[in-house]
Amino acid sequence: MISIKDVSKTYKNGTHALYNINLEIKDREFVYIVGSTGSGKSTLIKILNGEEVPTSGEALVNGVNVGKLRFSKVPLYRRGIGVVFQDYRLLPKRTVFENVAYALEVVDAKKKDIRVRVREVLRLVDLEDKATSFPDELSGGQQQRVAIARAIANRPKILIADEPTGNLDPKKSDEIIQLLEKINQEEETTILIVTHDTQIVRHHPKRMVMIESGHIVADLNKGAKI
Amino acid sequence: MFRRFARHIKEGFFGVFRHLGMALSSASAVMITLILIGLFLLVTLNLYDMTRTIESSISISALIREGEEVNHERIEEQILAIDGVASVDYRSPEEEFDYYIETQGSDELREFYNIYRDDNPFRGNILVELESGDDLEYVRDRIEDIATIDEVADGGANTYTLLEVLDSVRLFGGILVAALCLLAIYLVYNTIKITIASRADEIWIMRNVGAKNGYVRAPFLVEGVIIGFMGSIIPMIVAIIAYYYVYDHMDGVLFAAFYLIEPMPFIFYIAGILGLTGIVVGFLGSYISVCKYLRLKR
Repeated sequence: MISIKDVSKTYKNGTHALYNINLEIKDREFVYIVGSTGSGKSTLIKILNGEEVPTSGEALVNGVNVGKLRFSKVPLYRRGIGVVFQDYRLLPKRTVFENVAYALEVVDAKKKDIRVRVREVLRLVDLEDKATSFPDELSGGQQQRVAIARAIANRPKILIADEPTGNLDPKKSDEIIQLLEKINQEEETTILIVTHDTQIVRHHPKRMVMIESGHIVADLNKGAKI
Repeated sequence: MFRRFARHIKEGFFGVFRHLGMALSSASAVMITLILIGLFLLVTLNLYDMTRTIESSISISALIREGEEVNHERIEEQILAIDGVASVDYRSPEEEFDYYIETQGSDELREFYNIYRDDNPFRGNILVELESGDDLEYVRDRIEDIATIDEVADGGANTYTLLEVLDSVRLFGGILVAALCLLAIYLVYNTIKITIASRADEIWIMRNVGAKNGYVRAPFLVEGVIIGFMGSIIPMIVAIIAYYYVYDHMDGVLFAAFYLIEPMPFIFYIAGILGLTGIVVGFLGSYISVCKYLRLKR
């Protein structure tokens, strides 16, 4: 569960990114966070991911107050949150299997558990047959699937996808959102999709939080007209 | 635990091979530094050994004023009371004469000088042994202050000059080695900086999936240690072979009555110091780099 109460963020250079944001997201919810460039949505993600701390207010994520999180506790906190970005960020010299396994290796998972879990998530993202392929042998959509597989390999409670369809055509974008819906259902993961692409919101209606100039300007339930 | 350690070692080696050119150039800098350190250690430790021999053999000869021999016990007490004096040994004019005769090279000379026994030109002499060569100047000055002492003799200016030269060698060598160590640390630091930059994606992934800070840093520290150790291999071999060669070639003699330190186990201590210095230099270079470029920021 995510509970954001009166959160404001002002960067050291004086830029005000968020003003008194209030937001509640329940476990296993699927939420779009929509806003234009510079609206503050990236700052919100950074706060949720433990990269930034609120200047004021309180951000509780999985029961943890992010603002009071000690440096040494950040890694463990992040294991509960998966992050996917627009540019996939795969390791080019590692196979699909190795890319996904990497996320488990670095948190000291056992080899046997890694093998089982990587196969499981590759099946989930429908890339079992590409396990030995390298990223440059895959399409953009497939690469994003690998990135998603890597992000959920540690079974995070929350998956944040920052513009996951930004580099994809509408058909592939559709497939990625369908995949995220599947993960939301099968893995019971809370999904937060940050986007400025209202098309995907229309095609896959869910709760949508709109941010502009650091303020939440709308919090619409599934199916509400944009 | 062991698996993680093995992984860091493996990643460290991968890092070295990924930037082999950079790693080799850093290792070369470490190598040159360590060769100079090795040379410096071999020379200074042998010179140090020699100075200890000189210092331990330094004694002061205090000639008693004519006619004061009868008071030699009181003079001995006065000298013994000076800080840094280990022992005193009185020689009467007759003993001094005998000693002089004994030290002559041939029987003819001994016979010749013996003629002067009845007209003995020697005076009573107190030989003063010091606790340390560092006290030489101080003790000599204090003995000179004693009224019943006519003349004080020691190794003289040559001894002081030698000790000063050795001190200068140690100081200059120390500064040179410290400067070279800093240079080697800087080169390792730069190599690790580049490695960190080239692995930015991996670091990003590690951080995002919740790898602990130590886990992210460890491979780079291992890489620094590997570079440092790589740089120390040749200096260790060079030091061992060169010292054995020089020792054999000079039959273990530095010059005159001064001997080179026996190679065993001395040279293996030196090799150990070089290996350890390489590792420390590599570790420090990578540690500074890692602290600067892999700091967790919020």
